[in-house]
Amino acid sequence: MVSARGGIRSTTAHVTGLALLFISLGMLLSAVVEYVDGTNGAALLMAATATAVSGAALWWSTRPGALDHATIFTAVGTTWLVASAFGALPYLFAGTFAVAGRPWAVVLADALFESISGYSCTGSTVFGGHNPIGSQGSGVLLYRQLTQWAGGMGIVVLVVTVLPSLRASGLGLIDAEAPGMGVDRLAPRVKDTATRFWKLYTGLTALIAVGLLAAGMGPFDAIAHALTTASTGGFSTRDASIGHWDSLSVELVLVVAMVLGAANFTLHWRSLASRRIVHFRDHEFRGYLTILGVGTLLVAGMLAIDGMGVGRALRMGVFNVVTLGTSSGFGNATGAGSGGDFVRWTAGPQMILLFLMVFGGCAGSTAGGVKVVRLRVGMSHAYRTLRGFRRPRALFPVRQGARTVPEAIVERIAGFMVVYGMLVVVGTVAVTALGTDLVTAVGGVIGALGNMGPALGDVGPADSFVDGFSTPARMVLAVLMLVGRLEIFPMLLMLVAPYRSLRGAGRSNRP
Amino acid sequence: MFSVLVIVSGLVDLLGSGDDTVPMVTLGVLAGLVSSIGYSRIRAAERVRDADVLGGLTLCLLLLVMMVSAAHLLIGTTGSVVDALTDSTAALTTTALGVLAPDVGDHAGRFLRAGSQWLGGFGGLMVAVAILPFFGAEREFADRSRLRGRRPMTPNRLTAMRNIVYLHGVVSVGTWIGYVLAGLGTFDALMVAMATVSTGGMVDGDPFADPAVQYVAIAGMAVTGTSLVVLWRLVVGRTRGLMRSAELRAYLGLLVLGTALLLLWTGGSGPDGIRRAAFTVTAAVTTTGFPSAPAGIWAAAAPVLLLGLVSIGPMTGSAGGGFQIMRHRALLKVALREMVRQLHPRVVSRVRLGGRVVSEATLSRIVVVQFLVVSVVFATATVVAAMGLDMAAALGVAIHAISTGGPVRALDGSLLDPTDWSAPVRLAILPAMVIGRLSVYPAMVAASSTISAVRHRVRLRRRILSYRGRAG
Repeated sequence: MVSARGGIRSTTAHVTGLALLFISLGMLLSAVVEYVDGTNGAALLMAATATAVSGAALWWSTRPGALDHATIFTAVGTTWLVASAFGALPYLFAGTFAVAGRPWAVVLADALFESISGYSCTGSTVFGGHNPIGSQGSGVLLYRQLTQWAGGMGIVVLVVTVLPSLRASGLGLIDAEAPGMGVDRLAPRVKDTATRFWKLYTGLTALIAVGLLAAGMGPFDAIAHALTTASTGGFSTRDASIGHWDSLSVELVLVVAMVLGAANFTLHWRSLASRRIVHFRDHEFRGYLTILGVGTLLVAGMLAIDGMGVGRALRMGVFNVVTLGTSSGFGNATGAGSGGDFVRWTAGPQMILLFLMVFGGCAGSTAGGVKVVRLRVGMSHAYRTLRGFRRPRALFPVRQGARTVPEAIVERIAGFMVVYGMLVVVGTVAVTALGTDLVTAVGGVIGALGNMGPALGDVGPADSFVDGFSTPARMVLAVLMLVGRLEIFPMLLMLVAPYRSLRGAGRSNRP
Repeated sequence: MFSVLVIVSGLVDLLGSGDDTVPMVTLGVLAGLVSSIGYSRIRAAERVRDADVLGGLTLCLLLLVMMVSAAHLLIGTTGSVVDALTDSTAALTTTALGVLAPDVGDHAGRFLRAGSQWLGGFGGLMVAVAILPFFGAEREFADRSRLRGRRPMTPNRLTAMRNIVYLHGVVSVGTWIGYVLAGLGTFDALMVAMATVSTGGMVDGDPFADPAVQYVAIAGMAVTGTSLVVLWRLVVGRTRGLMRSAELRAYLGLLVLGTALLLLWTGGSGPDGIRRAAFTVTAAVTTTGFPSAPAGIWAAAAPVLLLGLVSIGPMTGSAGGGFQIMRHRALLKVALREMVRQLHPRVVSRVRLGGRVVSEATLSRIVVVQFLVVSVVFATATVVAAMGLDMAAALGVAIHAISTGGPVRALDGSLLDPTDWSAPVRLAILPAMVIGRLSVYPAMVAASSTISAVRHRVRLRRRILSYRGRAG
């Protein structure tokens, strides 16, 4: 349908076009870094040009249209799919995964996997012993980190900051993309809310970079890791991830930064606005810290019992519990079989890490997983159901602190958890059918849905996903990463929505 | 019931040495006397709450576990309290994770074990068909309608119980006769039949080496995994529209699809391969858990398939455990409704199962069951992993325990022997078995009631102390 202003009316294409323009800027910046570094940045420049031209064409030729629920899900889902596809171009043009003897389909799949893992802030990687990260140019490395930074706060949120024509409907787009149960308004105008989120995010990133510099990282590594810490992504510029530095101060800075990244950004904003720390008044944040604290104590205790010294067990426990409990996925293993290589730990601590991988961080943060608030509401709902057997006529509301959670929200959370559970089961069966063992499959699927990064079994912090999963299994995981990043429904409904509208149109055309 | 079981076990021992007859009969008589006195002296409350019934069920099962353990210790089947507790819990919860191996000549021990399983299966049926639909959860699924002159199976509690006794008895005797005709000795056939119809799965030796016995076992397990309501409809001739039941079709489909996939992933072929695969899959879906060693090389997906089938379980209203097909269908519909609600937030959408609208309260309780099951699996797996099992075994044990299925398999399909697990591991899985056998709610309601009562006492005591402090 052509609008009165000349362009084709399509919110999906318009938002996608603008998103492509944004990600092309990241590619361009990486190309510049590659040139400055003295290596050939032509591949990145080509990718940036192709992405920018495609994005501009989509943007100029379209105008935003009506924003009903179906369009919102289609727009957000399509934007992420297309951005991830174009995000693979730099790897393809640079021949990053074109190792001798590999079929082109596998190279394409690996490029897509790395791109999706980046934008979804998962941090799983197909780099490894056969194709080390260290052999890549600084431009490609920076681009990889930038994909996570862009994905952390959300590509669509970024688009809303510059798209005035969406007005209040933009909140629906942000809502569909943001982790958690909806987004809190930081300002009366949606555009201002989106802008404030991005300012806050940029500020946090800068603060982390300064902290890492002070802890002893070089400037490039500090900036690169700040990008993936604020976004709780977990990509590193080193093959051994954070284990490369083997530095307590670097790990401490990252632990604090990861916890901040996985906390609700609205709390950060309110703290800044009121100049008081309001985090501890929030029930979800307190629950989140309790989970991390108890998890750390249990893991460190078990590691100490298993023979690791108490100090080392505490260090390994804190870092790995926080990195997985915030869905970041950094590793502090200095090599396969070292203290931080948690897949070599006994099964007890690994089970606790698996639990943390399911629940992730707080709503309204950059973290993945089910989210602590849903866990709390789920527990509260279960408890009141059990109480209902003792007092059948009593009405027990589900509470979060002093506030009563509306029944509609409780039902939504219950529905979300059911779908999440089903995806874990279906994903695990699919991945094992493609040749992976149970533990690796469960870890990989929960890790992908929760946007964790490393998993269990054959794909620990010191391993590549190429070694643990076949190419089709990696594609299943890539789909789950996108589904998990968008909190399930947009990716599923973007497929259903056009079908439903077609069916609806068909029905309305009947005499 | 315990006293009858023990007395019969003692009398059965007369078929062999008869050494255990006197102690068993004495124990049975004593237990009977104590329970008769208790029954006559203790009056039921005038107003019985759902929670009281559910809590009472849990208490009954726990008492039975202790009494059967005591009986095993008394006749010397084992000298270990942990082994006796594990085996009696496994038997009464029909979880095929037993650790005792009574001698062939130990008739009392064998009968006590098989009888415990039969009692557990019977109890499971009572809970699922005659108790939960009347006290608490899933009321819609009871067969109560007298519309158009129908004869429902569960018009009220007493009739439901009577019909369960009748059907369970007929299926038990039928399976026994089937095993005898297939070539098993009368006593051995009775033992295997009780393990089959209860979905207990704990048998002595390897009675399934003969293909004919295996075929009877497949048929017996398949019937046992079918809802009693379906069997009732067959008995009273209400067969019209039976095959339109989505749950029955899903159950049969699961058996066929599971067999086909297991054949594919284990490289089996020919009639023998199909029989072996069907036996393994039926044992998994019905949560019976008869052991079957893997033939050939298993793909990574094969043990995962069996684990998935055990957690799905058979039809609702059968003796089997697991989450059961009806609940899975309800969850699937909840998931689909949630997707529709994302597109149309104000839509009013009802979930229908078996042609009936399911109330929101029932749906909510099913979702909570899923939440509780996942929580128990996580907690159990973490505890047993911390006690030394590897990740795959820990997850497998936890899922099997709450599904009351078995046996647990390693990643290559080989069977894990529960006797290799340490005593703390065995004790750690017992709560999951009890929760699973009682269809989750009774045990959880009992636990939450106990916690509430303790909290209430502590608070009251604190208040009294603080009042005394202020007064003093």
